Amino acid sequence: MSNLLQEETVSKIASFDGIDIYSIKTDKFKTSSVSIFFHTNLDRERVTKNAMIPAVLRRGCRRFPTFQEIALHLEELYGATFDCGVTKMGERHIIQFYIEFVSEMFTEEGSNQFDKAFDLLYEIITQPVLENEVFKDEYVKQEKDNLKRLIESRVNDKMLYAVEKCLEEVCKDEPYGIYDYGFVSDLKDINAKNLYEQYIAMLETYPVQVYIAGSASDKSVERAIEKLKKLRPKTDGTFGDLADKKLFGPSPESFNKSVNKVRNVVERFSVNQGKLSLGFRTNIRPDSKEYYALLVYNGILGGGVHSKLFQNVREKASLAYYAFSRLEKFKGLMVVSSGIEIANKDKALEIILQQIDEIKAGNITDYEFESTIKTIETSVKSLKDNQLQIVTHYLGQAIANTSDTFDDLISKTSRVTKQEVIDVAKKIQLDTIYFLTSKEQA
Amino acid sequence: MDIKTVKYDKIGETLYIYEHKSGLKAFLIPKKGYSKKYATFATHYGSINNEFIVPGEDNVTRVPDGIAHFLEHKLFEQKDGSVMDKFSKLGSNPNAYTGFSQTVYLFSCTDKFSENFQLLLDFVQNPYITEESVEKEKGIIGQEIRMYEDDPNWRSFFNLLGAFYKNHPVKIDIAGTIESISKINREILYKCYNTFYHPSNMVICVVGDLEPESVFEQIEKNIKYAEPREEIKRIFPEEIQSLNKDYVEQSLAVSTPLFQMGFKDDTKGLSGPESLKREVAVKILLEMIMGKSSALYNELYSQGLINNTFEFDYTIEENYAFSMFGGESPDPFRVKEIISGKIEEFHKKGLDREDYERIRKAVKGRFLRRFNSVENISHLFISVYFRGVNIFDYLDVYDKMNFEYINEIFSKHFNLNNLALSVVKPA
Repeated sequence: MSNLLQEETVSKIASFDGIDIYSIKTDKFKTSSVSIFFHTNLDRERVTKNAMIPAVLRRGCRRFPTFQEIALHLEELYGATFDCGVTKMGERHIIQFYIEFVSEMFTEEGSNQFDKAFDLLYEIITQPVLENEVFKDEYVKQEKDNLKRLIESRVNDKMLYAVEKCLEEVCKDEPYGIYDYGFVSDLKDINAKNLYEQYIAMLETYPVQVYIAGSASDKSVERAIEKLKKLRPKTDGTFGDLADKKLFGPSPESFNKSVNKVRNVVERFSVNQGKLSLGFRTNIRPDSKEYYALLVYNGILGGGVHSKLFQNVREKASLAYYAFSRLEKFKGLMVVSSGIEIANKDKALEIILQQIDEIKAGNITDYEFESTIKTIETSVKSLKDNQLQIVTHYLGQAIANTSDTFDDLISKTSRVTKQEVIDVAKKIQLDTIYFLTSKEQA
Repeated sequence: MDIKTVKYDKIGETLYIYEHKSGLKAFLIPKKGYSKKYATFATHYGSINNEFIVPGEDNVTRVPDGIAHFLEHKLFEQKDGSVMDKFSKLGSNPNAYTGFSQTVYLFSCTDKFSENFQLLLDFVQNPYITEESVEKEKGIIGQEIRMYEDDPNWRSFFNLLGAFYKNHPVKIDIAGTIESISKINREILYKCYNTFYHPSNMVICVVGDLEPESVFEQIEKNIKYAEPREEIKRIFPEEIQSLNKDYVEQSLAVSTPLFQMGFKDDTKGLSGPESLKREVAVKILLEMIMGKSSALYNELYSQGLINNTFEFDYTIEENYAFSMFGGESPDPFRVKEIISGKIEEFHKKGLDREDYERIRKAVKGRFLRRFNSVENISHLFISVYFRGVNIFDYLDVYDKMNFEYINEIFSKHFNLNNLALSVVKPA
């Protein structure tokens, strides 16, 4: 194997019809992958249907009309992995399709792994099983049931639920407050016909990003580009609702929301442990210089074992097993979350708020500051060892309208000063205190 | 220094092996071009080892449930504070986990490997436990236990183990209970440490873009010499061959029921490559019977009885083994009925050789993918190591697997008398 390939950088290799194609060439992995993202704005009208689209598409395509036949084909491709779904990044809703497969050098006959895998992905997206010129009714009905259950099952994972729910409460009157997988109550109006119509809109108008990662040959990549040129034959050239601000970063109106009054939200379940989450507005855009100081702020507050939250809530007060903070980069939000004894809520809240005040007051030790910078450096470098994380990083750059490589991110973070962190701290506003608690608690 | 090199050209990997004079074995798997370096220091001691005879003693020692995990938490505490702080200063991530039969300490870093490695070697070999810190840890671990009490997947998993086993300690939660950990003190912790953290009971595995000589030299210099000693006598209660119960349920705050079911296996005396062979065979069988390409999976899915959360796995250790499969379902009983029916049909009509060939190829491809990640390699390495094998032995097992053996294991393992079901219902 050669060591000629350089660092994991991305290059745009083609752009047409609202489709941007990127290549990340590396031979350090045993596998290669193709990821295709369709972008749209997150809104109530489309969110549930967008969530339904990949669920129906994965059930079959013309050449492999059932889920079982797709699965059989994936096994023939040396156990290739296919997956699809939706996610939100800020107020952008993203429908994603992904296939990962063993690189040709490790297959017995040197088969055309890439071409075969790409074709499967392409066909799943563009050649669904049709019935009366719309989606197959049986698949739509079954996937409506599955989506209903998926949405309702959110509560099964209380730790994650308490984080997501808190941020949704912060943004309850804004698009970000919408759950990625949509609304159970909107499912009843979805049928094979109107879902198919939205699918056609997705295919023809949503901006698309394609990432080809791994060791594909130039010939195979060229072949893939040719196929993608046929993705939207009927397009009118407008490319969807993002066309006018085609990936220019989050809109100004999605930021700069000030907080008038801190809200308290309590939700009750039959649980043993309480989950306390605090939702904040950072008011800092991902394409601003301050963003790097915000990264450091978050690291000092709750980004690891050196952080104020871990040290004070867990190590000193023994109140929790976990206590952390996390950023939502594209909407300028931050959440703090911890699992605690229900009776200790006030005590935990007091300690958490104290830590936030400490940073505002400039009480940041050199240990906290330097450990944070180094921890961020390690985690950024580590991203390079995972194909999907490399892709996610560059997708995030596109959505934020920035173009940081891994090294840029490290060097910009390392130049942040304590004063900049303190300045950022002053902008951060507590918005919502969410407590998931037992049914018995008063 | 004596370093053994084994090359696995087919998959482009190399394994370096070194043995310290104390009996500790160390392994290095280099990964060219990777930023992350991952080092693990593990002991063959986990949650199931709650009864044993200390080498040199006559009496049996019985310790509180959850003590291996408690000790894992306490080792991070050092005379001059928490070793976590020192790792943090280097920007690296220390961590640890306790399983049924091993405790694993690890860190990942991208820079200053030898400084990080030094910290790992030092803290695992130098416990500093005070009564005060033991009491403090009870609050933290208490919340960890509470967290798992509310985790429906965790609960359905342990409830199924409770259905399988009448006496075997594998059915006991790894962290113990709030009641059992209240009995833990400094003295018992040291006793466990001195028994199980002898170098001959431990292993080091390092994965990353590193040179074997320097890594092994550091180990040679820094592992304390310990006199060879007798084996630890690990005591396990007599376990019945049949199920303890065939059904268990619990109510929790979930929207849809969750279930786990599986077959209790009898693999007494199976170790080394034989245990690996059994594992691969059962996993191929699970894939053939209920994998995404199977008729069974597709029947259950299209009836809305299972969804994307459906998964399966097989676990085999020195004195227990079981398969497990489950996910969310509106009607777990119906799922059990259909699965049982299908398995009966396979017993009558036999397995399909073509399915077998295709799945063997797929499973091998997926195994290869695990070598993409330094942490995956480390985890897998440690998880099979104390069974007397190393991860590269899988390659040979895949190549030598045959349909006759698959059939033999099918009739042994998929015995409906050994099938138990655990359900978590909405509260």
